[in-house]
Amino acid sequence: MVEKEATVVPEAGLHARPAARFIKEAKGYSSDIVVVKDGREVNAKSPLRLMTLGARHGDRVVIRAEGDDEEVAVEALVAILSEEEEE
Amino acid sequence: MMAGTRLTGVAASEGVAVGPALVHVLMELKPERENISEVEVEEELGRFQSAVEVVAEKLSATAEEMREGGSEKEAGIFEAHVEMAEDPEFQSEVEERVKRLESPEGAVISVGEEFAALFAGMEDEYMAARADDVRDVASQIASELMGNETAGLEALAEPSVILALNLAPSDTARIPKGMALGFVIAEGSRTSHVSIMARSFGIPAVVGVGAALEDALGARMVALDGTEGYAVADPDEDVISDFEQKQKDAAAEAALLEEYKHAEARTSDGHRIEVAANIGSAEEAEGAIAWGAEGVGLFRTEFLFMKRTDLPSEEEQYEAYRKVAEEFGERPVIIRTMDVGGDKDLPGVDQPEEENPFLGWRGIRMCLDVPELFKPQLRAILRAAPYGKLRIMFPMVVDNVELRAAKEILEECREELENEGTEYGEVEVGVMVETPAAAIRARDIAPEVSFFSIGTNDLVQYTLAADRGNERLTRLQSADHPAVLDLIGKTCEAAREAGIWVGVCGESAGEPDMISKLVALGVTELSMSAPAIPRVKKIVSKL
Repeated sequence: MVEKEATVVPEAGLHARPAARFIKEAKGYSSDIVVVKDGREVNAKSPLRLMTLGARHGDRVVIRAEGDDEEVAVEALVAILSEEEEE
Repeated sequence: MMAGTRLTGVAASEGVAVGPALVHVLMELKPERENISEVEVEEELGRFQSAVEVVAEKLSATAEEMREGGSEKEAGIFEAHVEMAEDPEFQSEVEERVKRLESPEGAVISVGEEFAALFAGMEDEYMAARADDVRDVASQIASELMGNETAGLEALAEPSVILALNLAPSDTARIPKGMALGFVIAEGSRTSHVSIMARSFGIPAVVGVGAALEDALGARMVALDGTEGYAVADPDEDVISDFEQKQKDAAAEAALLEEYKHAEARTSDGHRIEVAANIGSAEEAEGAIAWGAEGVGLFRTEFLFMKRTDLPSEEEQYEAYRKVAEEFGERPVIIRTMDVGGDKDLPGVDQPEEENPFLGWRGIRMCLDVPELFKPQLRAILRAAPYGKLRIMFPMVVDNVELRAAKEILEECREELENEGTEYGEVEVGVMVETPAAAIRARDIAPEVSFFSIGTNDLVQYTLAADRGNERLTRLQSADHPAVLDLIGKTCEAAREAGIWVGVCGESAGEPDMISKLVALGVTELSMSAPAIPRVKKIVSKL
């Protein structure tokens, strides 16, 4: 299992476009991936769950993955959260 | 039901329509079966999977159609619906329930409701509104499972006026092209899905008519006026011919004005007059541009503060301002800082009951006293500035004491952003001239600002001491009064000396008789509700 903390950088938080990119990336890995915020844990591959997490710009979240590609998955997803949204 | 019943609501999409009524009642979706038997589980799981696929495919096709038709925003809605339909958590929860012998249609409806409740409970208004999207998607999958041809909308063969409690995006998308003459909707506001869709397709709509819709359900014909915001059920001959005339007039005028819409307005002696739009929410930006707005002369920000229990965050305001800035690009957008007084409640602000709210603690007066209200707004505007050409306008300013205090707080915000390393942009600062004091001493204020915009509605009310809402005072409610014209003239004169420009953002900017007077006094920008823009451009070019 690999986990890493990240700050949500995209202005829109984890919904709309940044979320779509995040989920697309997450779905590309075979590992089970979750996003944790304030003790709540949701499936990173589920847009519905992810949106209801209500992670906003500036919030701290933990990304945790378990599986064959856990390490790359966590790195890639943290990177997405740490980038400004591209225009 | 009485013939000629009038339903009043929100003018959500302009235009006039008369036609046969089609009532679209959203039936509460009931599962055909509560339970299934052990031997059916495998088969039902398979049926659920194919229902999801069918619905996702239909939604993708709709998104594609919308995109091809140039409706980017609507396409986005349907793409989000595809994502929801294919959500792995949604699917696994339905599958769990089916394995526990619940019927798949029942499971889909309940799981959809559970997610909808999660969304509805969220603080962020935008997210809370997503509850309806989840329900919409779940009910489509359930309908597919039950083999329901949600008859009505897609089978519509005669152009009709559609009456409904509400319409989900999937409902409006099912209506064959050209078959919806208009919408009369019980729920909703100008920002509901149905209103946005109606506007982008140019279909007249009246929303938010409330329980009155019930009185119209038996109607055979409906006439509606989406510009004024009302509908008439079973109109009599007189009303019909009246509406037909309105339709003809609107069509004739639209054709005539088409050539002026996107032209620059110039008087016959060559003076360039900028014609801009007054908007009250970020959603109106797109429509304003379509009407030919060369900018926003007045962006009222009160909508962000109304109908809610908390104050809008800086982030939420930033999103709204940025959206408008991006939408208008190079064209200038004047954001008026919050102008609320004792006549409206503000969450989190202790407002004492006032006898004269219009002469009370409002606008800039309140903002200066409550920095936690003012600063997030100023910071949000500064942060949105790099995305377009934003200007700030302070309302209700009486003298330089207020103006300087406001500018000082703006400077504080700028420094804060600088120190935090947050991106921000420069904005021009102007004053809304709407108190006689500001007009009389415009000469003092002009050197300290980049522009003036005259708010004629309040300037008239304060100058002529006549309540805007008092029906007996109509003679004293027009800017076409020598006293008011004098003040406008004084303002223009002071501006000329200081080398700044003057705009007008009150009702009178769109009044044919006033336009020539305002331009003659030296006004170079006129801002009004967007649909009036082509007409005003035409009037200006005849001067």
